[in-house]
Amino acid sequence: MRLDARTLLRHETVLAALVVVTFVVLANQSDRFFTAANLLNQGRFMAEVGLVALTMTFVIVTGGIDLSVGSILGFAAILVGVLWKKAGLPLPVAMGLAVGAAGVAGLTNGLIITRFKVPPLIATLATLALFRGLAEGISESRSVRGYPEWFYTLGQGEAAGVPVQVWVLAGAALVAAFVLERTTFGRATYVTGASETAARFSGVAVDRTKLLVYTASGLAAGLAAVILVSRVSTTRSDMGTGLELDVITAVVLGGTSIFGGKGTIAGTLLGLVLIQALRNGLALAGVKGDGTIVVIGAVLILTILVSNLFGRGGDG
Amino acid sequence: MLRAALAVILISSLVAGRAEAAGWTGGDDQPTNPLPCTGGAGPAASKPYDGGAPANAPARKGKKLTVVDIPKLIGIGYFNATSKGIADAAKELGTVTAKTDGPTKANIDEQITFIDNYITRGVDGILFAANDPVAIAPVLKKALSKGINVVGYDADASPEARQWFVNQAQFNGIAKSLLDNMAKEIGEDGAFAIVTSTFTTPNQARWIAEMSAYAQKCHPKMKWLETVEAQEDNVLSFNQATTLINKHADLKGIFGMTSVATPAGAEAVSQSGKCGKIAVVGLATPNAMKPYVNKGCVKSVVLWNPVDLGYAAMHVMRAVADGTLKPGATSVKAGKLGELKVINGSEILLGPPFVFTKENIGKFDF
Repeated sequence: MRLDARTLLRHETVLAALVVVTFVVLANQSDRFFTAANLLNQGRFMAEVGLVALTMTFVIVTGGIDLSVGSILGFAAILVGVLWKKAGLPLPVAMGLAVGAAGVAGLTNGLIITRFKVPPLIATLATLALFRGLAEGISESRSVRGYPEWFYTLGQGEAAGVPVQVWVLAGAALVAAFVLERTTFGRATYVTGASETAARFSGVAVDRTKLLVYTASGLAAGLAAVILVSRVSTTRSDMGTGLELDVITAVVLGGTSIFGGKGTIAGTLLGLVLIQALRNGLALAGVKGDGTIVVIGAVLILTILVSNLFGRGGDG
Repeated sequence: MLRAALAVILISSLVAGRAEAAGWTGGDDQPTNPLPCTGGAGPAASKPYDGGAPANAPARKGKKLTVVDIPKLIGIGYFNATSKGIADAAKELGTVTAKTDGPTKANIDEQITFIDNYITRGVDGILFAANDPVAIAPVLKKALSKGINVVGYDADASPEARQWFVNQAQFNGIAKSLLDNMAKEIGEDGAFAIVTSTFTTPNQARWIAEMSAYAQKCHPKMKWLETVEAQEDNVLSFNQATTLINKHADLKGIFGMTSVATPAGAEAVSQSGKCGKIAVVGLATPNAMKPYVNKGCVKSVVLWNPVDLGYAAMHVMRAVADGTLKPGATSVKAGKLGELKVINGSEILLGPPFVFTKENIGKFDF
């Protein structure tokens, strides 16, 4: 990586600088913000959106989008509860099946998009409603509570002083970054997004790439669901509503182009950190809920504007 | 692979399809205690104290308190009223700064994040109305462990996650009042349906469970058609009520279990021209219902005074922080409301439910 003007003006560098500036400003506004306890706690809240954002980066890089991740999360969360309480399965089995079912849900998305050639926006908009409906139907609107103690360590426990889900997120981020940037699958993802026709004619397995990417998106939502259930110690059928918006905001803020072909995991992580820091720091500084939403929207617009103004830095 | 995927999807749709969304399957598995069919509310139950306790709370007696109020959501009339009550009490006490903040949707995740941020900021007291009693418990217990006083109102959390809960009225008292008023309007063999928030919101779930028990005991011939969810959203409540009116030809009454569902239900009845033919009975703020009560569409609105509820909650918070309200107490003084009784171990009762009718609704402005 040469240190020239082009590298310095990459979206990710601009974003990193913005994150640092934000941290400094927020730390000034409240002395509780920049403490280890608070930052680690925010890491806990970030984990669910983070896991889904990692796979959403892949999805958006292929030029697609997945609006159904929130509903898949709700669906998987309900399955954990229902399989454990009603079907009487041992809890680890229920967890595994729930994540697997979420993967199948993602696969369904992929199949609709590749086999039936439905645009991803429309396909996942439809499955958003479908999976939410399934979640509500299966749950029969009861919430499931009373999980064994060990289950809560996933969402509420710590390992070496750092919350468990932060370790999970860190591990997943490393894997995702490696796959996206160092494997042929990652390159296939980029070229599918950059130009699908060129990819097909180059012999890239475009359909298989898309299927895998949407399945991964479902699996990530399933894992996030298990962590969420563990964190709030109950399952509700309305879990995950609105998750897709948070996830897409983080990914787009991180520099991934919505048209596909451009994006990095590092950018997504920076976007994630920026949004969480803003949410938390502003609340600690005394700004009320509605003000925070306005600020996050403004930051998103400004970052994209600045990044576009300074040219197309970096090509993934 | 494709076939296996399709098979799994079809099987799960079949499973989901068998679920009966129409029947009441919500609730919190707690025992119900229906009141006698005639006469007023029965004597309050008494139990040993079952609330939680803050760890190493600093001595706050006589000192200035910063209290944050986090209701289910902000921006609806009911919680604007409780917020006003809290602000009034804070001004009257003179030693408390109170702020109301919360999510714009009745979402438990967001509410948890709000509470967590205020714990980090360091407040002296947290007042809350929970979107989910179990999900909110871990973050409230965290608040207690940091020495913050935690008092709930309107919608409770698990008892050990908070110190006291100010209950607007006894659950069975509300159930009795609602059903008796409905029976008076539609008769002992009328058919009714219920529009609620969600099946797992703590207060609505308890009320409906008590209504179910009371209806079986004292109005066994009334037909319970359906219960639907409307998430405390205006448009959704209106749509659900309209669907109920169109779906059930024998519908004679609609219960609105939230302050948003009742006016929406009344509007739905009014717009479909069934004013006077379909009764609307429910919980609502008087201002929202004035047009319908004055038109004669709605005869009675059951509520308590939410401004008083917020007022009482703040006085309880001050008493708890000062140490004048201890576990095992049987009553607490709440400013202009006088002595409020302690029931069920750690609940403080505001009083009997109040029924607004055409005659008295004009006197209230919230």
